Amino acid sequence: MPKCKKSEGQAIDYASKLLPPPEEEPFEQHLKNCQDCSEAVESYTAIFDLTDKAQAELTVPETALKNIEMNVYKRLASTQEQTLFSRIRAYFAGVGSPFGWYKTAAVSSVAVALIATAVFIGKPFQSEDTLRLTDTQSADARIEQYRQQGIQRNLEEALITRHLRNDAWETESQLHRMKEQAQGTNWTKVADTHLKNLQSGNSTLQ
Amino acid sequence: MDKLIDDEMLVAQFQAGRQNAFDELMKRYKSKIFSYLLRSVRNYEDAEDITIEVFFKAYRALEGWQPKAKFSTWLYKIASNLAIDYHRAKARHPVYALDDTEIPEVHLVATDLHSDPEKQLEEKERGILIREAVDQLSPKQKAVFMLSRYEGLQLKEVAETLDMAEGTVKIHLHRAVKRLQTLLRPLWENNEI
Repeated sequence: MPKCKKSEGQAIDYASKLLPPPEEEPFEQHLKNCQDCSEAVESYTAIFDLTDKAQAELTVPETALKNIEMNVYKRLASTQEQTLFSRIRAYFAGVGSPFGWYKTAAVSSVAVALIATAVFIGKPFQSEDTLRLTDTQSADARIEQYRQQGIQRNLEEALITRHLRNDAWETESQLHRMKEQAQGTNWTKVADTHLKNLQSGNSTLQ
Repeated sequence: MDKLIDDEMLVAQFQAGRQNAFDELMKRYKSKIFSYLLRSVRNYEDAEDITIEVFFKAYRALEGWQPKAKFSTWLYKIASNLAIDYHRAKARHPVYALDDTEIPEVHLVATDLHSDPEKQLEEKERGILIREAVDQLSPKQKAVFMLSRYEGLQLKEVAETLDMAEGTVKIHLHRAVKRLQTLLRPLWENNEI
Protein backbone atom coordinates (compact mmCIF):
# COMPACT_ATOMS: atom_id res chain seq x y z
CA MET A 1 0.00 0.00 0.00
CA PRO A 2 1.58 3.32 -1.00
CA LYS A 3 2.35 5.82 1.76
CA CYS A 4 2.12 8.53 -0.85
CA LYS A 5 -1.67 8.81 -0.49
CA LYS A 6 -1.88 11.76 -2.83
CA SER A 7 -1.12 9.63 -5.83
CA GLU A 8 -2.81 6.36 -4.89
CA GLY A 9 -5.76 6.93 -7.22
CA GLN A 10 -3.40 8.02 -9.96
CA ALA A 11 -1.37 4.83 -9.51
CA ILE A 12 -4.49 2.74 -10.11
CA ASP A 13 -5.53 4.86 -13.09
CA TYR A 14 -2.03 4.69 -14.52
CA ALA A 15 -1.85 0.90 -14.15
CA SER A 16 -5.28 0.50 -15.71
CA LYS A 17 -4.44 2.99 -18.48
CA LEU A 18 -7.23 5.33 -17.43
CA LEU A 19 -5.08 8.30 -16.51
CA PRO A 20 -5.99 11.36 -18.61
CA PRO A 21 -3.16 12.15 -21.09
CA PRO A 22 -2.28 15.54 -19.53
CA GLU A 23 -1.67 13.83 -16.17
CA GLU A 24 0.37 10.99 -17.60
CA GLU A 25 3.74 12.68 -18.06
CA PRO A 26 3.79 14.49 -14.69
CA PHE A 27 2.87 11.20 -13.00
CA GLU A 28 5.64 9.35 -14.83
CA GLN A 29 8.05 12.00 -13.53
CA HIS A 30 6.62 11.48 -10.04
CA LEU A 31 7.17 7.72 -10.37
CA LYS A 32 10.88 8.27 -10.90
CA ASN A 33 11.16 9.84 -7.46
CA CYS A 34 8.52 7.94 -5.50
CA GLN A 35 9.29 4.40 -4.42
CA ASP A 36 5.81 3.92 -2.91
CA CYS A 37 3.99 4.81 -6.11
CA SER A 38 6.35 2.75 -8.27
CA GLU A 39 5.68 -0.28 -6.11
CA ALA A 40 1.97 0.45 -6.14
CA VAL A 41 1.88 0.66 -9.95
CA GLU A 42 3.82 -2.58 -10.17
CA SER A 43 1.42 -4.28 -7.78
CA TYR A 44 -1.72 -3.03 -9.56
CA THR A 45 -0.29 -4.01 -12.93
CA ALA A 46 0.33 -7.52 -11.60
CA ILE A 47 -3.30 -7.70 -10.43
CA PHE A 48 -4.56 -6.67 -13.84
CA ASP A 49 -2.32 -9.20 -15.56
CA LEU A 50 -3.59 -11.99 -13.31
CA THR A 51 -7.27 -11.13 -13.57
CA ASP A 52 -7.09 -10.52 -17.32
CA LYS A 53 -5.50 -13.90 -17.86
CA ALA A 54 -7.97 -15.69 -15.59
CA GLN A 55 -10.96 -14.09 -17.28
CA ALA A 56 -9.61 -14.68 -20.76
CA GLU A 57 -9.84 -18.39 -19.98
CA LEU A 58 -13.60 -18.04 -19.86
CA THR A 59 -14.02 -17.76 -23.60
CA VAL A 60 -17.33 -18.76 -25.08
CA PRO A 61 -17.03 -21.73 -27.43
CA GLU A 62 -18.32 -20.91 -30.92
CA THR A 63 -20.79 -23.78 -30.71
CA ALA A 64 -22.55 -22.06 -27.80
CA LEU A 65 -23.42 -19.10 -29.97
CA LYS A 66 -24.90 -20.98 -32.89
CA ASN A 67 -28.50 -21.07 -31.76
CA ILE A 68 -28.82 -17.73 -30.00
CA GLU A 69 -30.67 -16.00 -32.86
CA MET A 70 -33.07 -18.88 -33.41
CA ASN A 71 -33.85 -19.09 -29.69
CA VAL A 72 -34.48 -15.34 -29.51
CA TYR A 73 -37.04 -15.67 -32.29
CA LYS A 74 -38.55 -18.73 -30.61
CA ARG A 75 -38.87 -16.72 -27.42
CA LEU A 76 -40.55 -13.89 -29.34
CA ALA A 77 -42.93 -16.27 -31.09
CA SER A 78 -43.93 -18.02 -27.87
CA THR A 79 -44.61 -14.74 -26.10
CA GLN A 80 -46.75 -13.49 -28.93
CA GLU A 81 -48.74 -16.73 -28.90
CA GLN A 82 -49.23 -16.25 -25.17
CA THR A 83 -50.32 -12.67 -25.78
CA LEU A 84 -53.02 -13.83 -28.18
CA PHE A 85 -54.22 -16.45 -25.72
CA SER A 86 -54.15 -14.13 -22.73
CA ARG A 87 -56.10 -11.50 -24.69
CA ILE A 88 -58.85 -13.96 -25.46
CA ARG A 89 -58.86 -15.09 -21.84
CA ALA A 90 -58.87 -11.52 -20.54
CA TYR A 91 -61.72 -10.65 -22.87
CA PHE A 92 -63.90 -13.46 -21.58
CA ALA A 93 -62.95 -12.82 -17.99
CA GLY A 94 -64.24 -9.29 -18.52
CA VAL A 95 -67.57 -10.54 -19.90
CA GLY A 96 -68.49 -12.28 -16.64
CA SER A 97 -71.44 -14.59 -16.25
CA PRO A 98 -74.20 -15.19 -13.73
CA PHE A 99 -74.66 -18.76 -14.97
CA GLY A 100 -72.36 -20.57 -12.56
CA TRP A 101 -70.51 -23.73 -13.55
CA TYR A 102 -71.34 -23.79 -17.24
CA LYS A 103 -69.68 -20.43 -17.72
CA THR A 104 -66.44 -22.23 -18.59
CA ALA A 105 -68.17 -24.41 -21.18
CA ALA A 106 -69.87 -21.42 -22.77
CA VAL A 107 -66.67 -19.38 -22.83
CA SER A 108 -64.74 -22.28 -24.32
CA SER A 109 -67.31 -22.74 -27.08
CA VAL A 110 -67.23 -19.07 -27.98
CA ALA A 111 -63.41 -19.10 -27.88
CA VAL A 112 -63.30 -22.07 -30.27
CA ALA A 113 -65.77 -20.30 -32.55
CA LEU A 114 -63.69 -17.13 -32.50
CA ILE A 115 -60.48 -18.97 -33.26
CA ALA A 116 -62.23 -20.76 -36.14
CA THR A 117 -63.48 -17.40 -37.40
CA ALA A 118 -59.97 -16.03 -37.15
CA VAL A 119 -58.63 -18.94 -39.17
CA PHE A 120 -61.31 -18.98 -41.89
CA ILE A 121 -62.32 -15.36 -42.24
CA GLY A 122 -59.47 -13.17 -41.26
CA LYS A 123 -57.81 -11.49 -38.32
CA PRO A 124 -60.50 -10.22 -35.96
CA PHE A 125 -57.98 -9.06 -33.33
CA GLN A 126 -55.74 -7.28 -35.75
CA SER A 127 -57.21 -3.90 -34.87
CA GLU A 128 -55.57 -4.12 -31.43
CA ASP A 129 -52.38 -2.07 -31.51
CA THR A 130 -50.51 -4.21 -29.05
CA LEU A 131 -51.21 -7.50 -30.78
CA ARG A 132 -48.93 -7.94 -33.75
CA LEU A 133 -49.68 -11.19 -35.55
CA THR A 134 -47.44 -10.13 -38.42
CA ASP A 135 -44.53 -10.21 -35.97
CA THR A 136 -45.43 -13.76 -35.00
CA GLN A 137 -45.31 -14.75 -38.65
CA SER A 138 -42.03 -12.94 -39.01
CA ALA A 139 -40.59 -14.71 -35.97
CA ASP A 140 -41.71 -18.08 -37.39
CA ALA A 141 -40.07 -17.27 -40.70
CA ARG A 142 -36.87 -16.35 -38.86
CA ILE A 143 -36.93 -19.56 -36.85
CA GLU A 144 -37.23 -21.54 -40.06
CA GLN A 145 -34.46 -19.49 -41.65
CA TYR A 146 -32.11 -20.19 -38.73
CA ARG A 147 -33.10 -23.86 -38.74
CA GLN A 148 -32.14 -24.08 -42.42
CA GLN A 149 -28.84 -22.36 -41.65
CA GLY A 150 -28.24 -24.79 -38.79
CA ILE A 151 -28.87 -27.76 -41.10
CA GLN A 152 -26.44 -26.40 -43.69
CA ARG A 153 -23.85 -25.71 -41.02
CA ASN A 154 -24.13 -29.24 -39.66
CA LEU A 155 -23.77 -30.64 -43.16
CA GLU A 156 -20.65 -28.54 -43.68
CA GLU A 157 -19.24 -29.82 -40.39
CA ALA A 158 -19.95 -33.41 -41.39
CA LEU A 159 -18.13 -32.88 -44.71
CA ILE A 160 -15.19 -31.27 -42.93
CA THR A 161 -15.03 -34.24 -40.58
CA ARG A 162 -15.06 -36.58 -43.54
CA HIS A 163 -12.59 -34.86 -45.83
CA LEU A 164 -10.22 -33.07 -43.47
CA ARG A 165 -10.22 -35.41 -40.49
CA ASN A 166 -11.12 -38.57 -42.37
CA ASP A 167 -13.31 -39.74 -39.50
CA ALA A 168 -16.02 -41.87 -41.12
CA TRP A 169 -17.67 -42.90 -37.87
CA GLU A 170 -18.06 -39.31 -36.63
CA THR A 171 -19.18 -38.17 -40.10
CA GLU A 172 -21.91 -40.78 -40.12
CA SER A 173 -23.25 -39.76 -36.73
CA GLN A 174 -23.12 -36.09 -37.73
CA LEU A 175 -25.07 -36.87 -40.90
CA HIS A 176 -27.66 -38.79 -38.92
CA ARG A 177 -28.04 -35.86 -36.52
CA MET A 178 -28.36 -33.47 -39.45
CA LYS A 179 -30.99 -35.72 -41.07
CA GLU A 180 -32.98 -35.80 -37.87
CA GLN A 181 -32.81 -32.01 -37.62
CA ALA A 182 -33.88 -31.71 -41.28
CA GLN A 183 -37.05 -33.78 -40.99
CA GLY A 184 -39.71 -32.48 -43.36
CA THR A 185 -37.24 -30.80 -45.72
CA ASN A 186 -35.37 -31.83 -48.84
CA TRP A 187 -32.16 -31.80 -46.81
CA THR A 188 -32.98 -35.35 -45.67
CA LYS A 189 -32.37 -36.49 -49.27
CA VAL A 190 -29.02 -34.71 -49.26
CA ALA A 191 -28.15 -36.45 -46.00
CA ASP A 192 -29.19 -39.82 -47.46
CA THR A 193 -26.98 -39.26 -50.50
CA HIS A 194 -23.98 -38.45 -48.33
CA LEU A 195 -24.64 -41.42 -46.06
CA LYS A 196 -24.87 -43.68 -49.10
CA ASN A 197 -21.60 -42.30 -50.49
CA LEU A 198 -19.98 -42.69 -47.12
CA GLN A 199 -21.04 -46.30 -46.84
CA SER A 200 -19.87 -47.12 -50.35
CA GLY A 201 -16.59 -45.32 -49.57
CA ASN A 202 -16.20 -47.44 -46.46
CA SER A 203 -16.82 -50.67 -48.36
CA THR A 204 -14.22 -49.60 -50.93
CA LEU A 205 -11.74 -49.10 -48.13
CA GLN A 206 -12.52 -52.51 -46.75
CA MET B 1 -24.62 -6.71 -44.46
CA ASP B 2 -22.04 -3.95 -44.54
CA LYS B 3 -19.94 -4.02 -41.39
CA LEU B 4 -19.27 -0.33 -41.75
CA ILE B 5 -22.87 0.48 -40.95
CA ASP B 6 -22.92 1.65 -37.37
CA ASP B 7 -25.23 0.19 -34.75
CA GLU B 8 -27.46 3.22 -34.54
CA MET B 9 -28.03 3.08 -38.30
CA LEU B 10 -29.01 -0.56 -37.98
CA VAL B 11 -31.45 0.35 -35.23
CA ALA B 12 -32.99 2.98 -37.51
CA GLN B 13 -33.29 0.36 -40.27
CA PHE B 14 -34.97 -2.04 -37.85
CA GLN B 15 -37.36 0.67 -36.72
CA ALA B 16 -38.21 1.21 -40.39
CA GLY B 17 -39.19 -2.45 -40.63
CA ARG B 18 -36.01 -4.16 -41.79
CA GLN B 19 -35.74 -7.35 -39.76
CA ASN B 20 -32.28 -8.20 -41.06
CA ALA B 21 -30.91 -5.22 -39.20
CA PHE B 22 -31.76 -6.85 -35.88
CA ASP B 23 -30.12 -10.08 -37.00
CA GLU B 24 -26.96 -8.12 -37.74
CA LEU B 25 -27.06 -6.50 -34.29
CA MET B 26 -27.40 -9.92 -32.66
CA LYS B 27 -24.52 -11.22 -34.74
CA ARG B 28 -22.35 -8.32 -33.62
CA TYR B 29 -23.09 -8.53 -29.92
CA LYS B 30 -24.09 -12.09 -29.01
CA SER B 31 -20.54 -13.15 -28.22
CA LYS B 32 -19.76 -10.07 -26.13
CA ILE B 33 -22.99 -10.25 -24.18
CA PHE B 34 -22.62 -13.99 -23.63
CA SER B 35 -19.05 -13.55 -22.36
CA TYR B 36 -20.07 -10.72 -20.06
CA LEU B 37 -22.91 -12.78 -18.61
CA LEU B 38 -20.79 -15.90 -18.30
CA ARG B 39 -18.29 -13.92 -16.23
CA SER B 40 -21.09 -12.53 -14.14
CA VAL B 41 -23.31 -15.56 -13.51
CA ARG B 42 -20.55 -18.18 -13.89
CA ASN B 43 -22.95 -20.74 -15.26
CA TYR B 44 -22.97 -21.70 -18.89
CA GLU B 45 -26.68 -22.49 -19.32
CA ASP B 46 -27.87 -19.50 -17.34
CA ALA B 47 -25.58 -17.22 -19.34
CA GLU B 48 -27.12 -18.56 -22.54
CA ASP B 49 -30.68 -18.10 -21.25
CA ILE B 50 -29.99 -14.56 -20.10
CA THR B 51 -28.31 -13.70 -23.41
CA ILE B 52 -31.49 -14.78 -25.19
CA GLU B 53 -33.50 -12.69 -22.72
CA VAL B 54 -31.29 -9.65 -23.38
CA PHE B 55 -31.97 -9.76 -27.13
CA PHE B 56 -35.62 -10.58 -26.54
CA LYS B 57 -36.00 -7.48 -24.38
CA ALA B 58 -33.98 -5.41 -26.82
CA TYR B 59 -36.19 -6.50 -29.72
CA ARG B 60 -39.33 -5.54 -27.84
CA ALA B 61 -37.99 -2.18 -26.72
CA LEU B 62 -36.11 -1.21 -29.84
CA GLU B 63 -39.13 0.17 -31.64
CA GLY B 64 -39.26 3.13 -29.29
CA TRP B 65 -35.53 3.39 -28.61
CA GLN B 66 -33.97 6.82 -28.85
CA PRO B 67 -30.21 7.13 -29.36
CA LYS B 68 -29.45 8.94 -26.10
CA ALA B 69 -26.51 6.59 -25.54
CA LYS B 70 -24.68 4.10 -27.72
CA PHE B 71 -26.67 1.01 -28.66
CA SER B 72 -23.96 -1.22 -27.12
CA THR B 73 -24.15 0.68 -23.82
CA TRP B 74 -27.93 0.19 -23.79
CA LEU B 75 -27.52 -3.51 -24.50
CA TYR B 76 -25.00 -3.90 -21.65
CA LYS B 77 -27.44 -2.07 -19.41
CA ILE B 78 -30.14 -4.66 -20.15
CA ALA B 79 -27.61 -7.46 -19.57
CA SER B 80 -26.37 -5.89 -16.37
CA ASN B 81 -29.91 -5.47 -14.99
CA LEU B 82 -30.77 -9.05 -15.83
CA ALA B 83 -27.56 -10.26 -14.18
CA ILE B 84 -28.49 -8.31 -11.03
CA ASP B 85 -31.97 -9.88 -11.08
CA TYR B 86 -30.34 -13.27 -11.50
CA HIS B 87 -28.05 -12.78 -8.51
CA ARG B 88 -30.93 -11.50 -6.37
CA ALA B 89 -33.07 -14.51 -7.26
CA LYS B 90 -30.14 -16.80 -6.59
CA ALA B 91 -29.56 -15.21 -3.20
CA ARG B 92 -33.24 -15.64 -2.31
CA HIS B 93 -33.37 -19.24 -3.48
CA PRO B 94 -29.90 -20.74 -3.21
CA VAL B 95 -30.26 -24.13 -4.82
CA TYR B 96 -26.63 -25.11 -5.14
CA ALA B 97 -23.23 -23.47 -5.00
CA LEU B 98 -21.75 -22.16 -8.21
CA ASP B 99 -18.27 -23.17 -9.05
CA ASP B 100 -16.01 -23.35 -12.05
CA THR B 101 -16.90 -26.95 -12.78
CA GLU B 102 -20.07 -25.64 -14.44
CA ILE B 103 -18.09 -23.75 -17.01
CA PRO B 104 -16.76 -25.75 -19.91
CA GLU B 105 -12.98 -25.65 -19.71
CA VAL B 106 -12.16 -25.20 -23.34
CA HIS B 107 -8.49 -24.77 -22.51
CA LEU B 108 -8.09 -27.97 -20.57
CA VAL B 109 -7.43 -30.11 -23.60
CA ALA B 110 -4.23 -31.37 -25.12
CA THR B 111 -3.67 -29.07 -28.05
CA ASP B 112 -0.38 -30.60 -29.11
CA LEU B 113 2.02 -33.37 -28.24
CA HIS B 114 4.04 -31.07 -25.98
CA SER B 115 1.15 -29.94 -23.80
CA ASP B 116 1.75 -30.49 -20.11
CA PRO B 117 -1.36 -31.75 -18.25
CA GLU B 118 0.10 -30.85 -14.86
CA LYS B 119 0.77 -27.30 -15.92
CA GLN B 120 -2.71 -27.06 -17.41
CA LEU B 121 -4.21 -28.22 -14.13
CA GLU B 122 -2.13 -25.69 -12.21
CA GLU B 123 -3.28 -22.92 -14.52
CA LYS B 124 -6.87 -24.03 -14.12
CA GLU B 125 -6.58 -23.90 -10.32
CA ARG B 126 -4.89 -20.52 -10.49
CA GLY B 127 -7.70 -19.24 -12.71
CA ILE B 128 -10.30 -20.49 -10.23
CA LEU B 129 -8.57 -18.74 -7.29
CA ILE B 130 -8.41 -15.45 -9.17
CA ARG B 131 -12.00 -15.63 -10.39
CA GLU B 132 -13.12 -16.41 -6.85
CA ALA B 133 -11.35 -13.26 -5.70
CA VAL B 134 -13.23 -11.23 -8.32
CA ASP B 135 -16.46 -12.83 -7.10
CA GLN B 136 -15.73 -11.55 -3.60
CA LEU B 137 -16.03 -7.94 -4.75
CA SER B 138 -19.29 -6.19 -3.93
CA PRO B 139 -21.85 -6.41 -6.79
CA LYS B 140 -21.21 -2.79 -7.80
CA GLN B 141 -17.42 -3.14 -7.64
CA LYS B 142 -17.60 -6.33 -9.67
CA ALA B 143 -19.89 -4.80 -12.29
CA VAL B 144 -17.67 -1.74 -12.68
CA PHE B 145 -14.49 -3.81 -12.76
CA MET B 146 -15.86 -6.24 -15.36
CA LEU B 147 -17.35 -3.63 -17.66
CA SER B 148 -14.30 -1.43 -17.65
CA ARG B 149 -11.67 -4.16 -17.63
CA TYR B 150 -13.10 -6.98 -19.72
CA GLU B 151 -15.70 -5.33 -21.91
CA GLY B 152 -13.49 -2.37 -22.71
CA LEU B 153 -16.12 0.23 -21.86
CA GLN B 154 -15.02 3.79 -21.16
CA LEU B 155 -15.77 5.10 -17.65
CA LYS B 156 -18.52 7.28 -19.12
CA GLU B 157 -20.12 4.24 -20.74
CA VAL B 158 -19.85 2.23 -17.52
CA ALA B 159 -21.55 5.12 -15.74
CA GLU B 160 -24.39 5.12 -18.29
CA THR B 161 -24.73 1.34 -18.15
CA LEU B 162 -24.95 1.22 -14.36
CA ASP B 163 -26.78 4.52 -13.86
CA MET B 164 -23.98 6.00 -11.78
CA ALA B 165 -22.03 9.21 -11.83
CA GLU B 166 -18.64 8.91 -13.50
CA GLY B 167 -16.91 9.81 -10.23
CA THR B 168 -18.78 7.02 -8.44
CA VAL B 169 -17.65 4.55 -11.09
CA LYS B 170 -14.07 5.57 -10.47
CA ILE B 171 -14.45 5.16 -6.72
CA HIS B 172 -15.90 1.65 -7.18
CA LEU B 173 -13.09 0.79 -9.57
CA HIS B 174 -10.40 1.98 -7.15
CA ARG B 175 -12.00 0.06 -4.29
CA ALA B 176 -12.26 -3.05 -6.47
CA VAL B 177 -8.58 -2.92 -7.38
CA LYS B 178 -7.50 -2.36 -3.77
CA ARG B 179 -9.73 -5.19 -2.58
CA LEU B 180 -8.26 -7.49 -5.22
CA GLN B 181 -4.80 -6.47 -4.12
CA THR B 182 -5.65 -7.44 -0.54
CA LEU B 183 -7.13 -10.76 -1.66
CA LEU B 184 -4.51 -11.77 -4.19
CA ARG B 185 -1.28 -10.48 -2.70
CA PRO B 186 -0.93 -13.26 -0.09
CA LEU B 187 -1.54 -15.82 -2.82
CA TRP B 188 1.20 -14.61 -5.10
CA GLU B 189 3.57 -13.99 -2.22
CA ASN B 190 3.10 -17.66 -1.25
CA ASN B 191 3.55 -18.69 -4.89
CA GLU B 192 0.01 -20.04 -5.01
CA ILE B 193 -0.83 -18.09 -8.12
